Amino acid sequence: MWLSLNILNQMVDTAGLAPEEIALRLTMSTAEIDSIERVNDHFRTILAAKILDVRRHPNADKLTLVDLDAGERKYRVVCGAPNHKTGDIVPLALPGTRFGEEMTIKKAKIRGEESEGMLCSERELGLSDDHSGIMVLPADTKIGAAFSDLFPHRVDVRFEIDNKSITHRPDLWSHEGFAREIGAIFNRKFTSVIDYGLLKKLKDAEPIRVRILNPEASPRYSGLVVAGIKIEESPDWLKAMVEAIGMRPINNIVDITNYVMAEIGEPMHAFDRKKLNGDEIIVRLADSGEPLMTLDGSTFELINEDIVIADSKGPIALAGVMGGGNSEIEDSTTEIVLEAANFNPVNIRKTANRYSHRTEAAIRFEKSLSPELTVPALLRSYALIKKVLPGAEAVSRIIDAYPVRQKQVTVKTTADFIRKRLGERIDDDRIAAILTSLDFKLKENKGNLTIDVPYYRSTKDISIQEDIVEEVGRIYGYDNITPDVPLVICAPPGKNSFRLFERSVKTILSGNHNMIEISGYSFVGEETLNKLGVNNDSELRLRNPLSQEQDRLRRSLVPNVVNAITLNSRHSDEFSIYELGRVYIKDKRLSSELAKEKTMLTGAVYRKKPAAPLFYEVKRIARGLAEKLQIADCRLVPEDRALPPYAHPVRSMAIIVDGQKAGFLFELHPEASREFDITGSAALFDIDLVVLYAARKKETVFTELQKYPEVPFEVSVLADRTVYACDISLIIEIAGIDMIRRVEVVSVYEGNPIPEGKKSVSMKIVFASKERTLSTEEIEKLQKNVIAVLGKKGYQLR
Amino acid sequence: MEHELGTIRKEALAAIQAAADTDTIEEIRIKYLGRKGALTLILRSLGNIPPEERARMGKLSNQYKNEIETAIETRTDELTREGADSLIRGQWIDVTLDCVPPVPREGLGRLHPISRIQYEIEDIFTSMGFEIHDGPETETDHYNFEALNIPKHHPARDMQDTFWTEDGNLLRTHTSAIQVRAMEKVKPPFRVVGPGRVFRYESTDASHENTFYQVEGMMVDREITVAHLIYVMKELLKEIFQRDVSVRLRPGYFPFVEPGFELDINCLICGGNGCSVCKQSGWVELLPCGLVHPNVLRMGGIDPGQWSGFAFGLGLNRLVMMKYGINDIRHFLSGDIRFLKQF
Repeated sequence: MWLSLNILNQMVDTAGLAPEEIALRLTMSTAEIDSIERVNDHFRTILAAKILDVRRHPNADKLTLVDLDAGERKYRVVCGAPNHKTGDIVPLALPGTRFGEEMTIKKAKIRGEESEGMLCSERELGLSDDHSGIMVLPADTKIGAAFSDLFPHRVDVRFEIDNKSITHRPDLWSHEGFAREIGAIFNRKFTSVIDYGLLKKLKDAEPIRVRILNPEASPRYSGLVVAGIKIEESPDWLKAMVEAIGMRPINNIVDITNYVMAEIGEPMHAFDRKKLNGDEIIVRLADSGEPLMTLDGSTFELINEDIVIADSKGPIALAGVMGGGNSEIEDSTTEIVLEAANFNPVNIRKTANRYSHRTEAAIRFEKSLSPELTVPALLRSYALIKKVLPGAEAVSRIIDAYPVRQKQVTVKTTADFIRKRLGERIDDDRIAAILTSLDFKLKENKGNLTIDVPYYRSTKDISIQEDIVEEVGRIYGYDNITPDVPLVICAPPGKNSFRLFERSVKTILSGNHNMIEISGYSFVGEETLNKLGVNNDSELRLRNPLSQEQDRLRRSLVPNVVNAITLNSRHSDEFSIYELGRVYIKDKRLSSELAKEKTMLTGAVYRKKPAAPLFYEVKRIARGLAEKLQIADCRLVPEDRALPPYAHPVRSMAIIVDGQKAGFLFELHPEASREFDITGSAALFDIDLVVLYAARKKETVFTELQKYPEVPFEVSVLADRTVYACDISLIIEIAGIDMIRRVEVVSVYEGNPIPEGKKSVSMKIVFASKERTLSTEEIEKLQKNVIAVLGKKGYQLR
Repeated sequence: MEHELGTIRKEALAAIQAAADTDTIEEIRIKYLGRKGALTLILRSLGNIPPEERARMGKLSNQYKNEIETAIETRTDELTREGADSLIRGQWIDVTLDCVPPVPREGLGRLHPISRIQYEIEDIFTSMGFEIHDGPETETDHYNFEALNIPKHHPARDMQDTFWTEDGNLLRTHTSAIQVRAMEKVKPPFRVVGPGRVFRYESTDASHENTFYQVEGMMVDREITVAHLIYVMKELLKEIFQRDVSVRLRPGYFPFVEPGFELDINCLICGGNGCSVCKQSGWVELLPCGLVHPNVLRMGGIDPGQWSGFAFGLGLNRLVMMKYGINDIRHFLSGDIRFLKQF
């Protein structure tokens, strides 16, 4: 929203205050000022000058040399316009005058002739669209007068308000509200622009009546009929003010209603009295399906929550949002009804959103305006109409339906409460002075304050004592409050063990395994799911997605990680990445309970040219992680059922923790690699972090060091190629042979001289006793036992 | 015989002194003291000489034997030490080379910059007695809005464009929702923070993201004041930025606090003199905060007559961007390791 200093100055005198200071103090006490704009600052160096002589430029046919008298001295300029003649009083921009960022007038030689400035057209001055020639001022214009004095209303300072900082203050959607704030902050007097004396001068010659059918939706409707109207362009001062508030001048009546809205905050509407069918204005909720065309030509089919202004034949305006096309004022209009009303903010907000018509009026009504504003708005509009059209005359009294009067809000508090909340010793008198300067009415009784809240602050903004604390604090200045150390209980805070667990996991992966943590969106889309072969329509959808590729919530981190492989493989030949994040599981998608959120851990290793199957790489990482996390029971088992379709069917394993499936390790299926344009190899792990967190952890208990020698025994057996080596070592492990400390697979060999389809598996078995050194006989017996156990399963030593 | 003994001693000692390595010494030892060594032979022949000479010769022979043995020992020691020294010197390598290349910084693993700042901030808060709380990323209207004093159709809902899910719930628009959940779990007095991912229905550009990170904080006690809020924020920011920062509070509207503030810090880029980052104002808007609105306390089951508190929210992406001069917020979720490797 834009504020004009010229408009503010009508209500509070800001003489001697720099615009920067006003902006700073408003920012610190009231609302954020985004920027300051000086309007037509250059008018100070544009003077009214009388043309003494016009001659042809000796070196150019279309240019003239013009001698001018600008009061204090004479100038000569080169000018290309066609219309100026000796004796005209014209605008002369002196060297140094800046027209916007791009042009500054300089003394210059034009085709060999000195020019000491520029003569301006109305368009160049921003006064109209006329660019046919140099502007000619009236003959009685004082020669040498600056344009800033000739057009004072055109020289202004505009402040841009951050609208977000005034959503809670309906009164600040107006100049009046800000003028009051400036008065309180700088201790200057605020003067209202409303002339209540006009009330006595109104004549009652109109039979028009108003009836509100739904007081809940429309607490008040006030109107005034004015005759003797002539629709025409607004005078320049009014146009300037309308432009200053960021609107486009339309005609005198529309400009006045817009101006009054900006000035005192009450949205206004004016419609043609003669287009009203009958003498009754009805304010009611729309009938369902009722059609209406608004001023901008949009047509709506209304619903029962919309409020309309209607006559005997139907709606003539969409209340609080926009007037109707059927009652619009036209050039021929001579009699108008000025309307100032009050509507329920929720209805207006819904209507404006429903039809995407968040007009200036709707934006204000949805902030909860006071119904007390209607009559002042009518009086102000009438006064301005009289100023612009002296022949205009009110032909009605204030037509007013006000079934539910705004209640006086009174807040009870104490000066102590205010001090206690602010934590600052502000004395009673200062508190009273601040509140009084903001138009609050105070009664004090033994430290108890009874505070009457002004009507324009009490619709929603101020209702409890905390609100009063804010009023005192912000005008006192939060910067003036001395920081204070709180007295608190001194005890170590409780720990969030899951968060700490997440952190350990990340530290292990990034620190021990040199992986890079990535982070991706919580969203996923059909294209990615299709490429992975998991488009099962099971993701929770967004009602308002930003794009098709982000239209549902992820159930897995795999899509994001695989996309990251594609992206990064374009720049890097090898990398390891992981994401730790939440997925959202909702099996009954439309039921109202929240989605179940699971924290997952998904990682990937990528190599353009892997030396060995990358599967082993992720397996090493997963094992390393489980070891570091002290997970007591973590088994990796070959998996061929229940594998996701993007997993390589014979290069994958399931991770089983405490007998429960915790995730998968796998190489990316060649098909998926192709779909995702991944050249090279990628292997992933996808782990449910909640299962790891809940897993039983190893307790560290000291074990006696092995005192007696360990005796290794290596055997090699021949096996089918696709038999898992661990199944062979398991035969020994589960045979129950005493004194076996451990069994390890040392190596697996295929190729000459091993026959095709077979492999040699070498294992190391370690024997040892805790009580004694094993004797040669004992060792031989153990070795025979091992061989026998293997033999029984059909594995002969090589 | 006496003369012979003297010669042997003299020769032996000279040879020992002249020996250049331990092998030569061994040869000398064998030559004089070995089974057929010169001195050994003399000792063995002592029986053949007259008894009156025998005692004197025996004593002399043993004395010379000891002398030679001592000389051998000393010289062997010397030679061993010299040998080791030259051997070790022969093992000279060029230590300035990197024959085994170091793991390049590129190859090191690392945390996402948001995780790093989050943990840093969690640690600061923990050290100040705050507990870390959590909440779901998909939230109900109640926790995200209603319980924070933002009823339906309140204009403040516009301040936070919301992603709605098809089940009528939403993606939390701020970590303030964690406040409400925390109040249900802990009894006052308490200090809690809730870091997490939040979402806004907003098209993305260099300074706007639909997904970003915040930390919510809340402190409730018997008589918490604005002065306390300012104190705690200053201490917190001092720790985050590792230097004294000036802060200023100005009015800011958030329905869940009353009074509500925007907290600005003096611009760290220009030191408050005005630059493009702070739009020439010298101040950068950093965090919204305020005293908890009594309605919010009440909805959290806390009696506002007995307790008061403050709350604040801190945007993590902003902090990281300020710290490293990152100019595009979209890098964070891009998954691009060329970005992530820089931190």
